[in-house]
Amino acid sequence: MNAVGQSVERADGRLKLAGQAEYTGDIRLPGMLYGAILHSQAGHARITSISTAAAEKAEGVVAILTAEDLSDLDPYYGHALRDRPIVALGKVRFAGEPVAVVAAESQAAADAAVAYIDVEYEELPVAASLDQALAEDAPLVHDQVARPGASHGLGDLPDAEGNICYSYSFRRGDVDGAFADASVVVEGEYTFPAVYQYSMETHTTIAHWRGGELTLWSSCQHPFLVRQEIAGLFGLPLDLVQVIVPFLGGGFGSKSYTKMEPLTAAIARKAGRPVRILNSVNESMITTRRHNMKCRMRTAAAADGTLLGRSAEAWMDTGAYADNGPRVTATAGDAAPGPYRWRAVESAAHCVYTNTSPSGSYRAFGATHLQWIGESQLDEVARRLSMDRLEIRRRNLLRPGEEVRPGGKPLDADLIGDVEKAAAEVGWSDSSADVYPRAPEAAPRGRHRRGRGVSVGLLAAGAQPVSMATVRMGPDGSVTVLVGTTELGQGARTVMAQIAAGVLNSPVSKVVMRGTDTRYTPYDRSTGASRSTTVAGLAVQRAAQSVLDALLETATVKLETPPGLLRTAEGRIEDQGGRSITHGELVRARFGFDGGELIGHGRVQPEGGSGSYAEGPVFWEVCVAAVEAEVDMETGVITVLRTSTVADVGKAINPQLVARQDEGALLQGLGNALFEEMHFAPDGMVLNDTLLDYRIPAFEDMPASMTCTIVENGDGPGPFGAKGCGEGALAAVPAAIVNALADAGVPMNALPLTPERVWRRIQELKIS
Amino acid sequence: MKLPPFRLYHPHSVEEASRLLTELGDDATAYCGGTELLLAMKLGLTTYEHLVDLKRVDGLRGVADGSGGLLRIGAATTHHEVETSAAVRARYPEMSMMISHVANVRVRSVGTLGGNLCFADPHSDPASFLMAVGATLECQRDGQVRRIPAAGFLTGLYETALAPGELLTAVELPARPDHTGLSHRRMKLTERPAVTVTAQITMRGNAVAEARLIVGSVGIMPLAADATALFGATAADFAPRSASCAGQAAADCAPLPDGEASPDYLRHLVTVYAREALEEAFAAAAA
Repeated sequence: MNAVGQSVERADGRLKLAGQAEYTGDIRLPGMLYGAILHSQAGHARITSISTAAAEKAEGVVAILTAEDLSDLDPYYGHALRDRPIVALGKVRFAGEPVAVVAAESQAAADAAVAYIDVEYEELPVAASLDQALAEDAPLVHDQVARPGASHGLGDLPDAEGNICYSYSFRRGDVDGAFADASVVVEGEYTFPAVYQYSMETHTTIAHWRGGELTLWSSCQHPFLVRQEIAGLFGLPLDLVQVIVPFLGGGFGSKSYTKMEPLTAAIARKAGRPVRILNSVNESMITTRRHNMKCRMRTAAAADGTLLGRSAEAWMDTGAYADNGPRVTATAGDAAPGPYRWRAVESAAHCVYTNTSPSGSYRAFGATHLQWIGESQLDEVARRLSMDRLEIRRRNLLRPGEEVRPGGKPLDADLIGDVEKAAAEVGWSDSSADVYPRAPEAAPRGRHRRGRGVSVGLLAAGAQPVSMATVRMGPDGSVTVLVGTTELGQGARTVMAQIAAGVLNSPVSKVVMRGTDTRYTPYDRSTGASRSTTVAGLAVQRAAQSVLDALLETATVKLETPPGLLRTAEGRIEDQGGRSITHGELVRARFGFDGGELIGHGRVQPEGGSGSYAEGPVFWEVCVAAVEAEVDMETGVITVLRTSTVADVGKAINPQLVARQDEGALLQGLGNALFEEMHFAPDGMVLNDTLLDYRIPAFEDMPASMTCTIVENGDGPGPFGAKGCGEGALAAVPAAIVNALADAGVPMNALPLTPERVWRRIQELKIS
Repeated sequence: MKLPPFRLYHPHSVEEASRLLTELGDDATAYCGGTELLLAMKLGLTTYEHLVDLKRVDGLRGVADGSGGLLRIGAATTHHEVETSAAVRARYPEMSMMISHVANVRVRSVGTLGGNLCFADPHSDPASFLMAVGATLECQRDGQVRRIPAAGFLTGLYETALAPGELLTAVELPARPDHTGLSHRRMKLTERPAVTVTAQITMRGNAVAEARLIVGSVGIMPLAADATALFGATAADFAPRSASCAGQAAADCAPLPDGEASPDYLRHLVTVYAREALEEAFAAAAA
């Protein structure tokens, strides 16, 4: 049976269940030291002195790194903006910023020695929130404009202004005219919280310098971009920086781009021995987080429900350093219109520095921020026009082939079909309480009120479409796939093996993909933006096809049959008469002895154009969900009863993994919607930096009913018509919950929907 | 965020454990499941050089039917063992239900009932529950046994009535009076409960003969609310009297500062859950 389309067992499942999968934290190099970081206690301060003398004398301490040790380098990094020094240089910009790093013979010795480092600060005014950072007399988090980073992908960066480090905006059509012609205008102000992208494995890096070459083992999603940034920082040719990626225990964007690698490489350079940095949860929390946001939005519609205009402005809190903030900001700006046809639309999004921990990527960024706002305004339009909420979407949703944004890829999905499927799964019916105007007797009443909501959105997916892959087949017919996609738990190693097995018609048990070693694994841009199956998978398909071509070439000779009359069978090539020859026999026949291997290469690169973000995306990831929820009017507690998500994947290479991806995103969406929020003290210190105080979704939070509908229209640009998945539900679920709550009678304008916030809203609106 | 070094002791008897704790003094503490202690040590909230492990101490573990309908639970019995005990399910099914919501399955499989009480974290389900049922805590030191009512065991934030070197050895739940209803309500905002309320009501004829209402997890210690107003209540007037009693409990409790909920809201929750618990206990007692 061909492996493609089968829910084959995870290639790494047994290894992980048995505790045998190797993560970076499992690795012990000979002579390896353990690192500990001294984090700033001040939110914004000049460093007037650092004394490491006492710590140096502490037992087991080998080296201590401070900014002084970086004087031979240009120590600023950041793929978007080069605004961040390896360790604080003269100034700290957030509470928790690394100021010094100790390397010692044991973790306990390193942890103990950190306490002996004496730092004196001269405190500066703190801008710990968006409002403080945007105030007219706000303290500047950075007093110099940062240089652009190596891979921001944003074209010409506009000038920074105050604490705004990047802005993205567009205007299409006559916005004022559209609003002037409207029968209904809905407007509001909204806030979205800072969220921690919790993963079971925290950021972990080992750095080892040997003869001027640097090897890093790191829990990173984008090893090739890490290599590029590290090589730049330390002035090395790319080839002398080797990045090895073992299994990752989750990433979700928190391990995208460069995180702990510069600091680890720098302390190892000073120590002259390998050093490991392993974050604890509170350290990972201040390494990266999701942008909190405030947003104003207006939506205009005609009396018949035709959408006319939308105007949105958003401010994204990127913390003290930009990280991926500019890209997150641009994606948020792009998400403002939603997947609808407008007469006119304008959107502006600003990336704002504050004296808080830095914000970066998190699954479905930008879309998660804006979709719930746009979709709740759409529902409000429907409510005011007494119009069915599915009908207003049918009327205004873009159709396949329509332009999503000027110059970009047209829509490649059937959104109306998707949202109708999602709604049906939560019991939506055309004749019931779901349809507005609702009969008075159908309105929710009593203490526990139920509502339903749907939401539709799009996420620009694929990032830059540059991926290479190599497929090797040995003389026993076994196959190795070399591709730079990182296995984060999403199942990449399983799916890549299935793609190669599918092309070659090999048994999937004979195909293996391992972790990345940048020295031997071909280039892949990144693992994120739902791109692995689509982009890297296409490279694997092409590489496998090249091996198959070689097999057919040899089979043509051996079976004395033209290629057109040959076909694949499992593990072999056969002719129409039933004669066949195994893969292993073909490899051996080709080399004339019991050895040799077939090597195929596959390449994906932009076809026409530069592959830039503006010309993309590679595909539009669909963000569709429907929810039935219940609110306890006495306590504000929300219970999500039923969820339905749609994985519009073109072709499911492994349906079970598709469903699991969707469910994972859904549960994170529940957390983002209902309770996850990082709280900051007035000095920007994170207050709830443990999992006792910061609540992540757990099994008890799972809805009683969760349905994932897989849509396979074969409309993806990836292998076998596939396109990516796994992020959409995170954007779609909070929006559907907010809409379900409004349907139950409680409209909300701030996330998360904590019981107290909902209860206060009920009191404020005097809902009885 | 890493566990600091400590020395571990493995006594086999209560006497030995008690003696060790006395000898080692303030730098030592008893340790069993470690689900709260080790976490606090990792977070740097507390430090001890010596941990006296009670897991191998004879007689501290297990559930037994005592004489006269008494239920005796060894202090080192895990939450999971309590939750799944046939004796507990037979006598106090509400306790099985209450324990099944404590923390998570990993914590319940190693954390112990006695540990929960002795750590004296203000956010505790068992503390409220055991006060409401009028449990007695058996403690030992130097071969001396004393019994402390659950209501007198907790003395402050992370503080108990245990003397230095004294161990909690068992929790005893009294025989359940006839016509008694119990209800435990809880709500969590983060890992630990934000509000726990337990109500116990005993009927004589068609009127309430005895009522207890405990509000836990909100203040430093569980509050034994004044439920005397319910004495004599019948189905005809129970609802308004329980609402008034719940309101009074909310007014009397002193919410601890909580990053996730304001004092106003916590008081409101106490009102809601106390009323619910009382009504449920009344319905069960009357049935």
